[in-house]
Amino acid sequence: MRHRNTRREFIRNLGISGAAANLVLALPSLGWEASGQKKQRVIFVFSPNGVIPKHFWPDEEGEKFELKRILEPLAPYRDQLLTLRGIDNRIKGDGDGHMRGIGCLLTGVELFPGDVQGGSDTPAGWSMGISIDQHLKNKLQADANTRTRFGSLEFGVMVPDRADTWTRWSYAGPNQPVAPISDPYQMFNKLYGNIQNRVMLASVLDDLSEDFKKIEKMVSNEDRQILQQHAELVRSVELELKSELQKATEQKTSDNTPAPTDHAVPKLPPNVQEQNDNMPLISRMQTDLMVNSLMSDFTRVASMQITNSVGNPRMRWLNIDEGHHTISHEPDSNEDAYEQLIKINTWYSEQVAYMAKKLKETPEPGGDGSMLDHTTIVWTNELGKGNSHTRNSIPFVMVGGGLGFKTGRSLNFGNQPHNRLLLSITEAMGHAEKTFGNPDYCGDGPLTGLV
Amino acid sequence: MLTQACLVACLAGPTALAKDANTPSKHSVDEAQLAARGAQIYKETCQSCHGKTGQGIEGQYERALAGDLSLGSLTKLISRTMPEEDADACIGEDAAAVATYIHNAFYSEAARVRNRPPRIAMSRLTGEQLRQSIADLYGHFTKPPETSDQRGVKATYYNGTSRKSEELQIDRVDKVIDFDFGTESPGDGIAPQSYLIHWEGSLKVDKTGRYQIVLRSTCSCMMEFGSRNRELINNHVQSEGRDEFKRDIFLTAGRAYPFEISFLQRKRKTKQPPARVSLSWIPPGGIEEVIPQQNLIPEQLADTFALQAKLPPDDRSYGYDRGTAVGRQWDESTTATAIEFAEIAIEELYPKYRHRYRAEADENRSVLKRFLAEVVTVAFRGKLDAPTRKLYIDQQIERVEDDGEAIRRVMLLALKSPRFLYPTLDTEHSRSQRTANRLALVMHDSLPSAPWLVNAAAKDKLQNDSQLTNAARRMVDDYRTHAKTLTFLNDWLGLQNTDEIAKDTEQFPGFDPNTIQDLKKSMNRFLLDFIESDTSDFRELLQADWRYTTKRLENYYGSAWRSDMPEGQPDTPKPRATQETETQETADTKKNQSIRHAATQIESIMSRSIQDREIHAGVLSHPLIMSNLAYHRTTSPIHRGVFLTRRTLGRVLRPPDASFTPLSAELHPDLTTRERVQLQTGEINCQACHEQINSLGFAFEHFDATGRFRRKEKTKQINAAGSYTDRNGKRVAFNGARELADYLAQSEDCHHAFVEAAFEHFVKQPITAYGSGTADKITKSFQDSGYNIHELLISIAVTASRQPTAATTTTLRPQP
Repeated sequence: MRHRNTRREFIRNLGISGAAANLVLALPSLGWEASGQKKQRVIFVFSPNGVIPKHFWPDEEGEKFELKRILEPLAPYRDQLLTLRGIDNRIKGDGDGHMRGIGCLLTGVELFPGDVQGGSDTPAGWSMGISIDQHLKNKLQADANTRTRFGSLEFGVMVPDRADTWTRWSYAGPNQPVAPISDPYQMFNKLYGNIQNRVMLASVLDDLSEDFKKIEKMVSNEDRQILQQHAELVRSVELELKSELQKATEQKTSDNTPAPTDHAVPKLPPNVQEQNDNMPLISRMQTDLMVNSLMSDFTRVASMQITNSVGNPRMRWLNIDEGHHTISHEPDSNEDAYEQLIKINTWYSEQVAYMAKKLKETPEPGGDGSMLDHTTIVWTNELGKGNSHTRNSIPFVMVGGGLGFKTGRSLNFGNQPHNRLLLSITEAMGHAEKTFGNPDYCGDGPLTGLV
Repeated sequence: MLTQACLVACLAGPTALAKDANTPSKHSVDEAQLAARGAQIYKETCQSCHGKTGQGIEGQYERALAGDLSLGSLTKLISRTMPEEDADACIGEDAAAVATYIHNAFYSEAARVRNRPPRIAMSRLTGEQLRQSIADLYGHFTKPPETSDQRGVKATYYNGTSRKSEELQIDRVDKVIDFDFGTESPGDGIAPQSYLIHWEGSLKVDKTGRYQIVLRSTCSCMMEFGSRNRELINNHVQSEGRDEFKRDIFLTAGRAYPFEISFLQRKRKTKQPPARVSLSWIPPGGIEEVIPQQNLIPEQLADTFALQAKLPPDDRSYGYDRGTAVGRQWDESTTATAIEFAEIAIEELYPKYRHRYRAEADENRSVLKRFLAEVVTVAFRGKLDAPTRKLYIDQQIERVEDDGEAIRRVMLLALKSPRFLYPTLDTEHSRSQRTANRLALVMHDSLPSAPWLVNAAAKDKLQNDSQLTNAARRMVDDYRTHAKTLTFLNDWLGLQNTDEIAKDTEQFPGFDPNTIQDLKKSMNRFLLDFIESDTSDFRELLQADWRYTTKRLENYYGSAWRSDMPEGQPDTPKPRATQETETQETADTKKNQSIRHAATQIESIMSRSIQDREIHAGVLSHPLIMSNLAYHRTTSPIHRGVFLTRRTLGRVLRPPDASFTPLSAELHPDLTTRERVQLQTGEINCQACHEQINSLGFAFEHFDATGRFRRKEKTKQINAAGSYTDRNGKRVAFNGARELADYLAQSEDCHHAFVEAAFEHFVKQPITAYGSGTADKITKSFQDSGYNIHELLISIAVTASRQPTAATTTTLRPQP
């Protein structure tokens, strides 16, 4: 195996809290051992406002290609990289370019008529159909071999706290947008809240028992009875929790090989507010949580929505004070803006690279190779290019081996509807479909040449 | 609904069993004779060594005569060994007599329990008390709960979709939210293509339970609920086909939940949908309806938090909730409660607190410490001493870096601590603090959190009866007290379980879930009016000659149920509320009535009925009670009689000797219900109780199984003659429900029973534990106050909150 570290070192490096790391049970891990099939995962990553195609797409096609500036951070994963140029989001109907850009990206179908008016075109509502991530969730959850605790997890990074067509890309069905969780602590609670609370309870109950002794002296003999009964109850809960923790520790120290129950609880930095300037930190925290939850097999489908359609973060950490969306409207002739947009997109690329790095560093639990070998990151965007609002050649970049595509290549599909790519993804995950989204764009079935 | 099979179960309630333990039955006559002989022997032979009640005599036999031998074993023991100086002096039947006597008088465990005087037992918070305490713990950091006499929703209508003051066209109070504007303008000066309506108000909840809030809107809409920015529904985007939003939420009674709704019709290039919006709910055990005006208040009152955690039901074996069981499920529910409260503290309370003290330096997390100390002080109902503060706050904060984690830790420890969970575990606090704790518990099922009460406790200003009375008086006009009183009255009227009332649809067409819901609302509003009225005269409750009615109820129950308002003005302003708003609104309401309210709602609009002394014979003959105490097709004079005997008059009934299935009406087609019941219970053994039961229950025979007034059953005239022999042996006769109601209103037995039930509901302790004369004393002052229920609550609260004076405190102090 390529990884050098022992599993224990690895977990230590991950930064795990003392007691929590030992608490490895009670995290349901359905379908872990059930199937002999290779485990497959897919992650969808969104970044907004289009790219600068000239510094994004490799000029060459095939296995020999040079990475342009924006994709340079992905160089360490070149062998597991796939760039897919020439895939268009052709969905028409209501909604402006941005709305259809995000709302039809994973759904491949039109938006309902509605009242949200963008900068141009007609107003629209929510998507008329399910998105590919939720579709895969339903399929995987329907099969005991691939069923997991959550089925899918929707992460966000600085997604504004409002629900509209520009802030949602995942749909559980027609008119059913799925809200991403942008607060890492909220996500942590969803993932580990129960377990964390149990660990906390175990340590708190000790203090409580101490106080019980004092309190018992405050009451009459007759009233003491109910308190004593209560104290015994507290004591027995405490003992149970402790033995649960103890067992977990023993199980873990007894053997060095990766155990299927080896779920670490990551430790988040304290008191991080959801503020523009914390975006890099939040992105890290969310990625760490995501990789962890994939490692624990909480889900095999995940999405990471970085800001939103028309997202306007100010990347002051790159010395860019203006918001991304504002800059993206500048003509190419504005050299400063052009350069800034390259930097901004490179930063998004770095987020994908960090995710790939984490996955690559993590040995596949109960399997061969790294987690990246079993996971495909699909990084995409609402637009092809910001200032033209084109939805032709939507940025689609894949990293990893989850879908089993032949990687290490730069591909150009000419002008194919993106519904065909969505069909390829569901097929690669073992659930081939005849159509996905609007059937009019599915005519020739999944894309050819990916495998 | 009562099925035939449950008859016996209904009669043999646990209360009866418990209270009946002392009543000799026919079979125990021999035993009584034996015991009497035993008593005589004991007095002559045993008492000199063992004491009068077996307590022991110093220098003689010192240990108490108490144990768990059976009567047989005890007999043998006595026969063999006693008296010590001559073991043969008491054998055979003599030994049996002595054993029988002492076993029953003081020896056995049962006898000892019986002899122990009722005491105020320490108990943990009941489920309702936990919910209320958590709500007030939250409220301590926002605003104390408020009340309002206004009803409806404040509405502002804007031309265009922003809330610019120059575009404000209509500013009024809407009765309910239920509008169909179609493609037309909602009012003058408003363009039909583009407008915004903003509603704000509070949802007044009178019953604890699970509700479903249903917002229907064909346009963009947002709803916040509980506190500003606590989003409940987000439909910022109008999207075709998505126009119904349902949210399940557990709400605590006696609280008003502030909310606001924005409704936007946006101008667009494409076709606009017709604008429709309504705010409905499904109350616990009810059916969906537009949220009635009575539950809406046209202003946003204090932010409110309702605990969502599921709590196990409490022991009700004494007829009121008691927190006496501590078990696994309960323990887990306290964990869930602590975690849920921690989350809302992290989400809402702490950020607000930090904001308030943003100007202060925050060294060593001092703001966090102070915040947590304040939460824990309120939760523990009194000042924290240094060790407690160290254990519950400082030590916990030290262990974690993250503020959220620290809050979780402290909440978990504090809200699972007996210091919070046992409300009377407060001997270390000042006398005034202990008084305040009991006042809050009795009046609101909660903890003291209102600043005035907290201050009074801190300044030790709750010492004497007049201070106490004033404090209690201040707590009466409060939604929490109203809600607790409403729950009590429902209990007293036997209405805790009305979810399953259903009658034979062929025999009673029209008695459907809508009718039942209207009956519940009719009852509820009547009781709330009574509770909120200044006189709140108990006699009016029993004697009222009108009901709240709806068109639907009039259709089913007949013309005595018609509204007392002239046609076209169906909404009667209720006495103390909304008069001004409603008249002010009438003009534009009328104008838009046709398009605004859906037709189905008209049937449910509630108003006072005309007066009719015979048909509306006080609250007890309300159809909700009459149908609850009846079978599927026929009435049940026995259920009605038992209800009156036990609850209304507070008399003891022993369970029947055996289980009986009521005689079938089909098998006795010629008999009226009254005749059938007489036939079945005519035996001498039954008559001991049924003489009383039947003659009370028969008085309601004019009200059929759905509570509809009738003069005939089949072809025979109704005979509603009845009678009652009171505690003093005085017999009274009455004919029909009206005469019965008038009798009850001045019946000493009835007043006593009501006072005792109220005391136990509010205090959750037996009234006898507060001294043997307490019940009489409170009853007397209740009568003297003109039967004012507010005054009753005040004397109950004062009695139960009064702390022993300093001189006697020591005896109640804990042992070191």
